[in-house]
Amino acid sequence: MKIDTKAKWGIVLGLGPALLIYIGFAIVPIIISFYYSFMKWDGFSPMQYVGLDNFKELFKDQLFWHSLKNNVYVILASVIGQLSLALLFALLLNRKLKGAKFFRTIGFMPVVLSSVVVSLTWSLIYNSEDGLLNELLRAVGLQSWTQNWLGNEHLAMISVCVTIIWQFIGLYMIIFLAALQNIPREILEAAEIDGATEWSKTWKIILPMMKDTITAALVLAISGSLKTFDQIYVMTSGGPNHATDVSALYMYNKTFQSLQFGYGSAISVFIFIFGLVLILVLNKLIGKSAV
Amino acid sequence: METYSNRKIKMTLIYVVLILFAIVNAYPILWMILNSFKTTKEYAVDKLGLPHSLHFQNYIDAWHTANFGEYFWNSIVVSVVAVIITVLFGALAAYFIARFDFKMSKTIYNFFIFGLLVPIHATLVPMFILMSKLGILNTRLSLIFPYVAFNLPITIFLLVSFMRSFPKDIEESAIMDGAGILRIFWAIILPMTRPAIATVVILSFINNWNEFVFALVLINNPKLQTLPLGLQNFAGDHVTNYVAQFAGLTMALVPILIVYLLLEKELVKGMTAGAVKG
Repeated sequence: MKIDTKAKWGIVLGLGPALLIYIGFAIVPIIISFYYSFMKWDGFSPMQYVGLDNFKELFKDQLFWHSLKNNVYVILASVIGQLSLALLFALLLNRKLKGAKFFRTIGFMPVVLSSVVVSLTWSLIYNSEDGLLNELLRAVGLQSWTQNWLGNEHLAMISVCVTIIWQFIGLYMIIFLAALQNIPREILEAAEIDGATEWSKTWKIILPMMKDTITAALVLAISGSLKTFDQIYVMTSGGPNHATDVSALYMYNKTFQSLQFGYGSAISVFIFIFGLVLILVLNKLIGKSAV
Repeated sequence: METYSNRKIKMTLIYVVLILFAIVNAYPILWMILNSFKTTKEYAVDKLGLPHSLHFQNYIDAWHTANFGEYFWNSIVVSVVAVIITVLFGALAAYFIARFDFKMSKTIYNFFIFGLLVPIHATLVPMFILMSKLGILNTRLSLIFPYVAFNLPITIFLLVSFMRSFPKDIEESAIMDGAGILRIFWAIILPMTRPAIATVVILSFINNWNEFVFALVLINNPKLQTLPLGLQNFAGDHVTNYVAQFAGLTMALVPILIVYLLLEKELVKGMTAGAVKG
């Protein structure tokens, strides 16, 4: 639409409220986070500027690196477990199939549930005494496999990752299905006439055409994994003995339990930048290996 | 070419895999719902079977001991108010971004979209301080503001792309008839955007309803806790009372499942929009 003076005021008034709240409660906090990361502060007494000290401390903080390593495990679990299974299910569902809608609905269901409900349910599943998992193992005679799934330092991280995979497979499945349905039918039909099997059609035509969607899903999975908090806070609180600590939880504890507001902000800033760098590198790698 | 029997084997395999997937997805939830109707004694001896009868006492107990009524009410108030503000402000902003040519239009749009990349955790510390400085820590407002702010990017993303698809002459004829800018928005554009608005309403409602971290940090008062926070505390207080936990979880789960089954299309569209279009 053309603009006159009246419309100019309309634009200001129309964009104003949304911009105000968005800047005030999303953008400004991020900027302040950077500012706090250069301070030593317990949240109450006056702040003290310490330059890069928080970051220097961060680089020496074994527990922080340990928690970041667990984030990397979540990323690997999401990429390997989640994306590949989601892709498989999407490929299987992308055909004339009785009940396809039913499988889609059931598949996406966990995605709409709150992480707290999911995590509490899985805590009950993993329960060492009365949990579903141990009970099922006993029912099929695998008594010796029963475990304290969340209480065992070596298993806890795997157990938590399984829950996270379970919760979000459906999201990627639907994303992949949407991309599959956008592939023009003529291309696939032409390949069929040339005698291509489903296997070679999938590898040579479908997957290359889905490259952009797969990249987007990778970005989503990586940034989502770095944010992991709810599931771990609810299921293990980072235990046993820090075995399941992730960086967002470590930041939360440093800030709100140890009252190191500056140090906590430095952790947030580091994760934020770490995530951006990871995504940039990923984009570069994928851009180079053009199919 | 595939032979008939090869094809049959293939389809059987596909079904086996998909049915396994469906069982793994649905069984934990079904297991939880079934156990919520068992007595403690019944659960102790039989964790896998069907309940003998529909024993509603767990629900009554959970409702009374844990203030579930309050948690529900708090979640409803915070989620609904935040959704109304998000959609009203978001639609207004989207209208000006999508339908007017002005210099900053593209920049402002990108600025909003950048919000999709802002990790919530990086804002927690400043948000806590900001809320206490504004004097609204521990009030419903301290949740409503961030919920609106963090749902605006996806709202504007979805609404702008929808509004851009309308033909240009819609407004022109309205202007000829002497309608003002806001009248065009209210009487023409907004009704036309209804399908996209439905998606946005459901998406941001679910986001708010499920949100945990902000509620954890910004709300201390038990009377103002939302459902996820209340559930978490309830589970902590009833660590070994499994059937009560099952009942509490089922109560929290059922409304969302109903919303999902009724409005699946809109919800799925909203939740996958970022990756599908980007």
